[in-house]
Amino acid sequence: MIDNRRISVKITGESGQGINSIGEVVAKALKECGYYTFGYREYPSLIKGGHAFHQVDFSDRPLNSSSNQVDLMVSFSRVSFHQYLPTLRENGQAIHMLPMLELTEEEKALTTSKNNSVFHLPADEMSVQIGGKAIMANSIMVAALWKILNLPLEPLEKIIKKEFAHKPEAIKSNLACLAAGYDANIENIRPLNVHFTAHPKRQNDALLTGNNLVSIGAVSAGVRAYFAYPMTPSSSILSYLADEYHETNMLVKQLDDEISVAQTALGAMFMGTRALVATSGGGFDLMTESVSLAGITETPFVCVLAQRPGPATGLPTWTAATDLNLAIYAGHGEYPRCVISVSDSNSAYTLIQHAFNIAEKYQIPTILLTDKQIAESLYQMGDLPPAVSIKRSLISNKPDQNPTSSDRYKITDSGISPRWIPGQFEETYVGNSDEHTPDGTVTEDAQISREMNQKRLRKLKTLEEELPEPRILGPQKAKTTIVTWGSPLNALTDALNIWNDNNPKKQVNLLLYEFMYPTKTGELRNLIKNKKKLILVENNEFAQLGALLTQNTGYIFTEKLLKSNGRPFFIEEIYDFLQNNIK
Amino acid sequence: MASCNCPSHTKEDAKFGDYFSENLYNWCTNCGNYGIHAAVKRALTAQNIKPCQTLLCFDIGCHGNGSDKIGGYRFHGLHGRVLSFACGASTANSKLKVIAFGGDGGTLGEGINHLIMAIRGNYNFTFVFHNNLNYGLTTGQASATTKPGVKMNASPDGITTEPIHPMRFVLSLHPTFAARTFSGDVHHMNETFQAAINHKGFSFIEVLQSCPTYNLMTPHEWYQNRVKKVEEMKGYKNDNLELAQKVGEDLESQIAIGVLYQNKNSIPFMNRQANRTEVKTELVNEVQPGPAQELFDHFR
Repeated sequence: MIDNRRISVKITGESGQGINSIGEVVAKALKECGYYTFGYREYPSLIKGGHAFHQVDFSDRPLNSSSNQVDLMVSFSRVSFHQYLPTLRENGQAIHMLPMLELTEEEKALTTSKNNSVFHLPADEMSVQIGGKAIMANSIMVAALWKILNLPLEPLEKIIKKEFAHKPEAIKSNLACLAAGYDANIENIRPLNVHFTAHPKRQNDALLTGNNLVSIGAVSAGVRAYFAYPMTPSSSILSYLADEYHETNMLVKQLDDEISVAQTALGAMFMGTRALVATSGGGFDLMTESVSLAGITETPFVCVLAQRPGPATGLPTWTAATDLNLAIYAGHGEYPRCVISVSDSNSAYTLIQHAFNIAEKYQIPTILLTDKQIAESLYQMGDLPPAVSIKRSLISNKPDQNPTSSDRYKITDSGISPRWIPGQFEETYVGNSDEHTPDGTVTEDAQISREMNQKRLRKLKTLEEELPEPRILGPQKAKTTIVTWGSPLNALTDALNIWNDNNPKKQVNLLLYEFMYPTKTGELRNLIKNKKKLILVENNEFAQLGALLTQNTGYIFTEKLLKSNGRPFFIEEIYDFLQNNIK
Repeated sequence: MASCNCPSHTKEDAKFGDYFSENLYNWCTNCGNYGIHAAVKRALTAQNIKPCQTLLCFDIGCHGNGSDKIGGYRFHGLHGRVLSFACGASTANSKLKVIAFGGDGGTLGEGINHLIMAIRGNYNFTFVFHNNLNYGLTTGQASATTKPGVKMNASPDGITTEPIHPMRFVLSLHPTFAARTFSGDVHHMNETFQAAINHKGFSFIEVLQSCPTYNLMTPHEWYQNRVKKVEEMKGYKNDNLELAQKVGEDLESQIAIGVLYQNKNSIPFMNRQANRTEVKTELVNEVQPGPAQELFDHFR
């Protein structure tokens, strides 16, 4: 077993038991202890019942992915206990509050073979005895977990006080529950030795989701209107921006369907503000005619497409990277667009800002891909990366700039025409979904139609020249390069940190695609020319990026690690793949 | 009052000619759209709104083919979607007068959900509903307002579905402004459009529009003989929704035209937003970096 220099803790229960809140408390308290944390959620598309977990991995170095095995598990429901018991690592320990719980013969054999221990703590009875409510059993269980983690109780107490700051009457009894859980004297527990060092600097870090970061990026980008229809995993952008709208004064509105959402945003963008929409695959399907409309009317449009597995309803609360093709090809007709993919917490904040600058400069639809793993996982960050300055690319509002109507869709070499917003100049124009002349007048003339279409499509070439090449991450001289996009970056980075430490002669680096379309291939061609071993890693079955790169370079990827079961990549499966494939 | 940011704006009042376009009309002879365009231009001019102070939004259909034959900033979008587009445009800059145009096909067929959204939200714009009882541009198929039994393109044995009564439908959603007018009476349209333009919130105007090519059942004369101005109805007051529902019901013998209903206390969409009531600027003027660091720090 590799030493992955992390400890993994899983809080399991039913939907509706507050599993996610408990997980967040654990993450905050671990951060308070001075560690880096990463929080991963799995939950069913249900309000009550089923089985759910929030897993916190922690370490002394940054980590942004999960292990597929855990050192400790806390269970609040029978179903979840049985479901996740097999994920205990060698020597792992589980603690639960379920009376009369019995292990099956199979489970007994498994736990014995892995030297696992299972402990029962009657936390709900204890909480009532202490004078608290049954729900405070959560505090008892977390404190018992803390005891096994062998960590001091004070940081956890501090977090509980903060969590209940709005309910001071609950603080005292919750602290009593913490003490009771910590001092419970459970027989035979094996306190862990956290074998890496804490750093107090971590206490000031922030813990937030990718959706929080996309939202904050939108605020940095000067977004003034947000329209959406709820759809997992994009919904928490809507609720977060709504919760903060008194601070931002942003217009945040849930509308009646995704078609209205896309059209309303187009209306607001055409009028000249910055409006954002977000959805998942099914909602984006409904928006596609509007994406096409943005294409011909050269109206900027920015949509966050938070991926989850399809087709149709698919796996609503799980993750995938299956909509790259959708983002690139959705909408009838040929028109330019930009497709960008978020891959980690930093890019969740910065790329949305680039998306708006690109959408406005090129006057095109721009789609920002995320996925459930980015959207809903809990990332720890020291600070925001530098903001991207707002570039609106409108013609300036000076009298000597006075444009004429036929400048608006003027045929240019770059394909980009001057843009001004309604009310900015006396000269007006038509944004026309029919093919049109440079001032927007309808035309069916063969020559003008072709020239206008080619003008718009030239923007793709201009944009491609401006976009950066995909980034090489990790040791520059590595002989093997993993080509990837989206959230797999995180598990890859964490796994490669361990791999490269352990295998100095078999170093592996990454080629990360963030600007997906139009597609840059210079860096890839260099790698091919230099005969690097290339491995494609994608969270889908079609190898959609691979197909796109083959289409653009003729290179065919022969080594691929693909996954399409709704789960993100875990570090072990990447490590194992490298072990089997790099000799 | 509409206003713009044009750097070299003249101080002269708006003139009818400001809305002139060199592009030639291509509607059928006697199409109701000619009168509607004339009335829209008159209403805008009468309200001293210049072309650079307005955004005219067009749906797809015969009326939409007029989008490049009139002045103003204009958008000619997708079939059925003009209302949600105009909803968004109206939120971004209330200084510009937004007027949307749509037909009975796009409004009550493909995009009826957007009509509901616009009424419920009371978005601040005027909607001119061209009701000519058929899909003209696709050569005369039935729409949601075609009367039962009428033989249309693709319905050779006559329409078998119940029509939607537009005014009954709209009034059921408690709009803040609902009017009806007739494409054969430019003066009445002009007056009605001006009342709508001055309304705060969503103003719905049904235009009974003749279609000389495909609607042979209710031609110009048919309407002319039946329309009756609400001002001429004894004791009519347009602040009563129930009365409007009663008077608006008849589409066969005496068809009421004029402002059927107006809520003078209407609060438009943006003024209903709790976080925007104290804000004096428009969304179009607010595009600058927001309090990102502060938001981030809440998560520490």
